[in-house]
Amino acid sequence: MTAHVAPPASSATNPAVVVSNLRRAYGARVVIDRLNLRIERGEFVALLGESGCGKTTLLRALAGLDPIQGGRIAAPRRPAVVFQEHRLLPWDSLWSNVSLGLQLPDARERAAAALAEVGLGDRLDDWPRNLSGGQAQRVALARALVQQPELLLLDEPFAALDALTRIRMHDLVRQLVANHRPGVLLVTHDVDEAIALADRILVMRDGAIAFEYREAGGSGSIERTVLLAELGVLVSHAAA
Amino acid sequence: MSNIEQTLAATKFDQAQTAASQHTPAPLGRRSLLAISWLAPAAIVIIWELLARAGWISPQVLPAPTKVVATAVKLATTDNLLNDLGVSLLRAASGFVVGASIGFALGTLVGFSRIAKAAIDRSVQMIRAIPFLAVLPLVIVWLGVGEAEKIFLVALGVTFPIYINTTLGIRQIDPKLIELGRVQGLSRLGLIRRIILPGALPSILTGVRYALATAWLALVVAETIGAQSGIGFLAMDAREFLRTDVIVLTIVIYALIGVAADAIARWLERRLLAWHPNYGGGR
Repeated sequence: MTAHVAPPASSATNPAVVVSNLRRAYGARVVIDRLNLRIERGEFVALLGESGCGKTTLLRALAGLDPIQGGRIAAPRRPAVVFQEHRLLPWDSLWSNVSLGLQLPDARERAAAALAEVGLGDRLDDWPRNLSGGQAQRVALARALVQQPELLLLDEPFAALDALTRIRMHDLVRQLVANHRPGVLLVTHDVDEAIALADRILVMRDGAIAFEYREAGGSGSIERTVLLAELGVLVSHAAA
Repeated sequence: MSNIEQTLAATKFDQAQTAASQHTPAPLGRRSLLAISWLAPAAIVIIWELLARAGWISPQVLPAPTKVVATAVKLATTDNLLNDLGVSLLRAASGFVVGASIGFALGTLVGFSRIAKAAIDRSVQMIRAIPFLAVLPLVIVWLGVGEAEKIFLVALGVTFPIYINTTLGIRQIDPKLIELGRVQGLSRLGLIRRIILPGALPSILTGVRYALATAWLALVVAETIGAQSGIGFLAMDAREFLRTDVIVLTIVIYALIGVAADAIARWLERRLLAWHPNYGGGR
């Protein structure tokens, strides 16, 4: 948590997070080196990269879960995180799970509203064990959004879901982000997911941002080929 | 194999049996089987009664069940049976509270802090290796044969199962949930209250159930030696006068209280672990 320093009040725009010269190492092994990143509020950024390139390490550093060895992470508030696993507390009802860490007298009402937003408004007092994988991940989304975060970190949250559920979750996330307008960093290895959701796509390589693609509303297939090439996958146009 | 493992194995066996009785189509049906399970012990009691009445079993060896019941009624109305029962229950309860508090406090400390674990755990494990009833002569030398000695022995028997299951429960908590607690901004106290203790609760309750059994065992032994009141005293007193009916009555009372204690533990599990698929039942 010490890594989060309030940004200077004079900043012209309203960034959800500004990362400068970030360095993260496990002992002698440097995973992130001199990484710079800025995410505005309301901006949806997807972070692609091969396994082990440091994208989850970056997300954990932004979340304040791991110490950093250099540089600065400036975020106005604690970010909210949705992990690959739902991480619901099995001993708490859904509304208790959603309001975890919410120190407000109307926690239950807020949790109820957040659950209604993800389509589970009638399951307030149900146990997590009665949920499907997709439903559990929707509760995890509600738990993140009820904190009214300015930065929302998504760590491959749909990777464990089946294809149809994943498509429905994409729609839900798009809608939730449009309503709440946090800055979003989505870590994923799914190029199509990144294209479907993000305003801006980053490719991470060797501990730094190697490539940046800004959504221009063009045809999907060209950017897909470009992104895959950046990820080291060569696809002929005929196949794509 | 430790005692806890035995308890766990027994629990699993219970579940396996329940599962089996649910899945195999019984030729008699569930209700008849339930009836048989109760009729069999009832039949044993009836046969015992008949043999005793026919004079095949000497009343000095084993009095008839009806005689034991009559003795119970007589002792409860004219003598101090209820008083003795109260004394025994109080000893068990105070010993349990003392032992459970110490076991829980030490277990929580060791579960949370590596320094505490290094400082405490090995010593506790060494003391645990002693069968706790073996220290009885030493306890009598220390404390005499009064209430303190009895409560001490019960507390000693209770401390270890609670301690071990508390540390085990805390250590088994998914570190990912603790990480989630940090992400959600829980304080250290909030983390303990919302995540660590609820997560350790199934294990702690297993310890409680086992501790109830050892508490009872400790009490029987402590009361058999040098008691002036209590159920155990009643039994020893009756032995001097060869009152087999009273002795059998005390044994039955010990058994009933053991059953009641187990029922309370199960009820606690059902209530507190309603979220848990193994305890709360399906909804």
